[in-house]
Amino acid sequence: MANVLDLRRRIRSIKNTRQITKAMKMVAAAKLRRAQERALSSRPYAAMMTSVLQSLKRRIEIFDPETGEVRHPLLLTRPEKNVLLVVVSGEGGFAGAFNANIIKAATNFIGDHNDRQIDVEAIGRKGRDILRRRYPAAKYLEAQRSEHDEERAPRGERQERVAPVEMMDDRYRSMLLKLSFDQVSELGAEIVSLYTREQIDAAYIVYNEFKSVIQQRVVVERILPIVEIGAQDVAHAEEMSREDRERAVEAAESAGISPDSADFAEAAKQADEEAKRFGTADVDYLYEPNPKELFNAILPRYVTTKLYHAMLESSAAEFAARMTAMDSATNNASDLIDHYTLLMNRVRQAAITKELIEIVSGAAAL
Amino acid sequence: MPDQLQVRLVTPERILIDTTADAVELPSRSGYLEVLFGHTPLLAELGAGEVRLHGAHAGEQRYNVNWGFVEVLPERVTILAESALKPEEIDTGRAQEQLDRGHKMWNEAGDDAEKYEEANRVIAEAESKLASAASHS
Repeated sequence: MANVLDLRRRIRSIKNTRQITKAMKMVAAAKLRRAQERALSSRPYAAMMTSVLQSLKRRIEIFDPETGEVRHPLLLTRPEKNVLLVVVSGEGGFAGAFNANIIKAATNFIGDHNDRQIDVEAIGRKGRDILRRRYPAAKYLEAQRSEHDEERAPRGERQERVAPVEMMDDRYRSMLLKLSFDQVSELGAEIVSLYTREQIDAAYIVYNEFKSVIQQRVVVERILPIVEIGAQDVAHAEEMSREDRERAVEAAESAGISPDSADFAEAAKQADEEAKRFGTADVDYLYEPNPKELFNAILPRYVTTKLYHAMLESSAAEFAARMTAMDSATNNASDLIDHYTLLMNRVRQAAITKELIEIVSGAAAL
Repeated sequence: MPDQLQVRLVTPERILIDTTADAVELPSRSGYLEVLFGHTPLLAELGAGEVRLHGAHAGEQRYNVNWGFVEVLPERVTILAESALKPEEIDTGRAQEQLDRGHKMWNEAGDDAEKYEEANRVIAEAESKLASAASHS
């Protein structure tokens, strides 16, 4: 049986661990709050863009009246042969099943679509590291490097495929660490250009949707082609389990974040409603340039906005997952400490009792 | 003051300004336009340039934008810009670099009309940034 000293050491070590997990939880909670705010303040832009597109769409002929073909290449649906899959995972670990869920959704998607050639664009270090072990990297011709931005040289032309599923290079690594719209729009522009050049026939994104701490799900969403503006084209979704939700609520409450974030939802709703009026007033607008050109100019940006929004939500979800995981770890540490304290007291008592017996029986022998 | 425009400048990150002003100057694709109270409803695409607010609550305000679009209603102007910077926030070094890159792209574009357009866009963006930064200092 372990002696008192060993147990005391063990307890001290667990206490240290608990300190760390507690600190990580508070940091994650603070970051979550900030991420939630960012997600909220990015909504008006996205909602306004959607509503102006919807109103423009009504004014222009999407379909060519003579041939019946779709006019804008991004609205055009083709049989899916080459697919781009954007996987948004986390930058760090210690976030429970967060990264594992994303990877699982991505692999399921790849498994379900094994008749297609899939390019995987992994955003976030964790997902990239894991997926890179499974799938070979795509080969490019040496890109022309400009001397101005050596670090972010554009991708060269694609070489022959070696496998049905290939990883894109890590041009967009560490994008999530400091998420900026500029970088996302670079990615968006690349996806749009791949699609218009018919190198891909569809683009999907796997990410963790985050409405509030208790309303989260892992979704596979189709971002290209755009079938209906303003609607989410969800190919597959995985709701969070009830236990997960309960744990998340507990963690959020102890970290001082309202789990349901009713005020958050309320503010979001208000912003959305206001944004819906954008560009849809019941008047005849002057268009400059004409509606069609305007529509064509805005539509590619719509893809970027979607990507940006997905990444914001995903990073909020990552922090929420980390907060929950660290809360559970802290609780587990506390339980262990209680257990070992009890054990230590028992061992100490046993030692005292033993000594007493020895003294008493020693005295009786005299 | 009567009849002021309600002006909002929205970027993907946040709502940057939400205020009232007498007049707004906008860099539309085909040139600057100034909007006063009671303007005809208008939807326009913005190019690279400066958004200027005149007679705003906090005095004259200027923002450099590179792409966006605007909805003008008689009493309300909403600008959606992909990025908006105050003149003092512009990094002139980087803008200069961007200008050089644009010129290089322009020279290399050859017969490709798309590349020309892209190069022109980059040049216009860099030039407008430099111009706003210069007029500030």
